[in-house]
Amino acid sequence: MEAVLDAAAVLLPLAYLLVAVDYGFLFFGNRSFLPGGSSLALRIVLVAHLGYLTLLAAHFQHFPAANVSEALSIVAFSILAVYAIVEWLGNETSTGFWMVALAFLFALGASLMSGSTPEDRELFRNPFFFGHASLALLSSAAFAVAASYAFLFLRLYRELKAGRFTLFFGKLPPLEVLERMMSGALLVGFIALTGAVVTGFVWAFQVVPGEFFKDSKTVATLVVWALYAAVLLLRRLRRWQGRETAIASLAGFAFTLFSFVAINLWLSDFHSFN
Amino acid sequence: MARLPGSYSAELPILVVGTDHHHALLELRERVAYDPRETEDALVGLIAMPEIEEAVLVSTCNRTEVYVRHHDGLDAFQQSLETVFLARAPEIGEEGRFFVKRGDAAARHLLSVAAGLESMVLGEPEILGQVKQATVMAEQLGTAGAVLARLARSAAAAGRRARAETQIGAGAVSFGYATVDLARNIFRGLDQCSVLVLGAGETATGVARSLLERGAGELRLANRTRERAEAFQREFPTAQVLGFDERLGALEAADLVVAATSAPEPVLRRDDLEPTLRQRKGRPLLIVDLGVPRDVEPSVGEFGNVFLHDVDSLKQLIEHNLKRRREEVAGVEAIVDEELERFAVWFGGLEAAPVVAQLHRRAEEIRQREISKHRSLFPDTTHDQLDVLTRSIVRKILHHPSAQLRESAEQENLRHLAALKDLFRLDDNESDTK
Repeated sequence: MEAVLDAAAVLLPLAYLLVAVDYGFLFFGNRSFLPGGSSLALRIVLVAHLGYLTLLAAHFQHFPAANVSEALSIVAFSILAVYAIVEWLGNETSTGFWMVALAFLFALGASLMSGSTPEDRELFRNPFFFGHASLALLSSAAFAVAASYAFLFLRLYRELKAGRFTLFFGKLPPLEVLERMMSGALLVGFIALTGAVVTGFVWAFQVVPGEFFKDSKTVATLVVWALYAAVLLLRRLRRWQGRETAIASLAGFAFTLFSFVAINLWLSDFHSFN
Repeated sequence: MARLPGSYSAELPILVVGTDHHHALLELRERVAYDPRETEDALVGLIAMPEIEEAVLVSTCNRTEVYVRHHDGLDAFQQSLETVFLARAPEIGEEGRFFVKRGDAAARHLLSVAAGLESMVLGEPEILGQVKQATVMAEQLGTAGAVLARLARSAAAAGRRARAETQIGAGAVSFGYATVDLARNIFRGLDQCSVLVLGAGETATGVARSLLERGAGELRLANRTRERAEAFQREFPTAQVLGFDERLGALEAADLVVAATSAPEPVLRRDDLEPTLRQRKGRPLLIVDLGVPRDVEPSVGEFGNVFLHDVDSLKQLIEHNLKRRREEVAGVEAIVDEELERFAVWFGGLEAAPVVAQLHRRAEEIRQREISKHRSLFPDTTHDQLDVLTRSIVRKILHHPSAQLRESAEQENLRHLAALKDLFRLDDNESDTK
C-alpha cells in the first residue's frame, strides 16, 4: 500500500502538470493535444486524486490533513474540484490554464513534502479535527481561486484601461464575469474560514482553554479573517470596486500563504502540523 | 495578345483568370465587376465556346475571377481573358494587371479565396458567402458541372473549417466590431448593455449598426440636429432619440457610450461626468470616442471602472487582431492542403472508371487470343462451356481489384490507379501482350 501511495505522490503532480500544459495549449494556441481534450483529462486527474486521498485516509485511519504534505494535497484537490465545477457550470475553459497551474503548485508542494509518515494521534480521528481542518483547507483553496481570478481580472483591467492589447485580450471571460467569480470565491472562502475559526475555538476551549490565543497560527488566522471581512464589507458598501477587491484578494492570499508557510515551517507551537 | 505563362502541363483541366486588389486599382476593378445579370451573360457566353466545358465567375468589390474547366488550356485562357476582362477594360491585358493559374494551383486558389487568405482584410467572412453564391448561380445556369461544383464544395469546406478550426476570422478589424470586441471583454452580455450614441453621422451609425447586429440591448441617440437624428431613427426604429442636452442625464443608465460628433470641443468633460459616476455606484462604463478632434476629455479615462478608448486605441486593437490572424495563416494553409487533397482524390475517382474498363478490355482480349490459340485442343462440343468458364475466371479475378480500385480512388489517393496503369501498361499498344 505504501508503495502505491509513494508512486501516487510522485505521479499526481506530473498529471497536474500535463493537464495544466494542455490547458495552456488551449489558451495560447486554441488547441488541446490530449486525446479527449483538457476537460476529460481534468476529470480523470480529479478522480485519481480523490482515489489517492481515499487510500491515504484508509491507510492511516484519519482525515488526510495530518501534516503539511496532506494539507497541500487537499488544497490542490479542492482548487481542481472548484475549477471543474466552474468549468462545467459555465462551459468556460479559458481560465483552466491558470487554475490548474495553481493547483499544480500545491500538488508539487505536497509531493516534495511527502515521505514522512504522519503522527498517529487520537486528535486526528476527532470529528472536530475533520470539520475544522476541512473548512480551513477549503477556505485556503477558495482564497487561492479568488486570487487567481483577481490576477486575471487585473491583467484584463489594465489592458482595457491602457488600450494595449496582449495575448490575454479576447481569451478571458469578460471583466464582469471575472469579478463575479472572484467575489464568489472570496465569499465561499470567508464562510469556510469563519466555520474553521468557530470549530477551532470550540475545540480549543475544550483542549487548551486560555492558551490558544497565544498560538501564532490562531492570531494569523484571525488577522486573515478580519482582512477578508473588511474586503467583503467594503465591497458590500460599494466603496470598493473590482480593481480594489482584486488587489486586496491578492494581498490577502499572499498573507495567508506567508503565514501558512512561516508558521508551519519556522515556528513551532501546539497548533503547528509539525 | 496576352500569353499563358509557362507551358500547359497540369493534369487537372481547370484554369482561373482573374484580377484583384493585388493586381489592379479600384478604378480598374470597378470596370470588370459583374452584377448578377452580367454574370449570367458572361457565363452563357463562355460555355458556348467549344474549348470550355464548365465556368464559374466570382465577382466582388475586391476581385473578379473566372474559373473554367476546359479541353484546351491555352484557348480557354485566351477566351476567358477576352470575354470577361479585355472586352470591358483592355488595360487589364497589360503585364501585372491580371493573374492566371492552372491545374492544382487554380484549384488551390479558389480554396484559399474561400478561406479568406486572399482577402484584402485577412480572414474576412463575406467572401465565403460570395463564393457559394457564385457557384449556386453557375449551377442554376448549368455552367458549373460536376468538377467545378465539387471544387466549390471543397472551397466552402475549406472556408468553414478555416473559421471553425483556426482564429483566422477572430477579432474585430473594423471600428464597429472593435467596439463590440471591447464591450464583450467588459460586460457579461451585450444584450444587457444600454448604448448611448452621441452624434448621428456615418461613423456613429456604422458603429451602432455593428452593436445592434451583435445583439446590443437598448439604443439611445443624443444629437444636435433633428434631421440627422430622424434619419438615424429611420434606420434604427427601436432607438430612443434624446436632445443633446440630455446626454449627461442619460449617462447614468448607459453602459457603453459611442461619441462621434463633429464638435470642435469635447462634449463629455471630466467635471460633467464626476457626479454621474457617483450615482452609477461603480458600474463599468465603456466610452468609445471616435471624434476627431476628440469628443471626450482624456482625463475621463482616469476614473476607476471607466474605460475610455479613442481612434488610436481602436486602431491598436485592430492591428492586434490582424497580427493574430496572420499567425493563423499556416494552419489555414494546412486545411486548404487537406481539402485540395480530398478534391484530387475525388477527381482521381472520376478517372477510375475508364481505367477499370480498360483493364477488363485488356483481359478479355488476352482471353480471346488464348482461347482461339488453344481451342483446337478441346472437343467441339465443349467450346461453349470453355468460353463461359474462361470468361467467368477472368471476371472473378478482376472483380476484387476493380472494386478496390474504385474505392481507393475515392477514399485514399491516386497511387493505386497510377500503379495499375504502370503494371498492366494500360496506356500502351496491344503489341506487348503477345
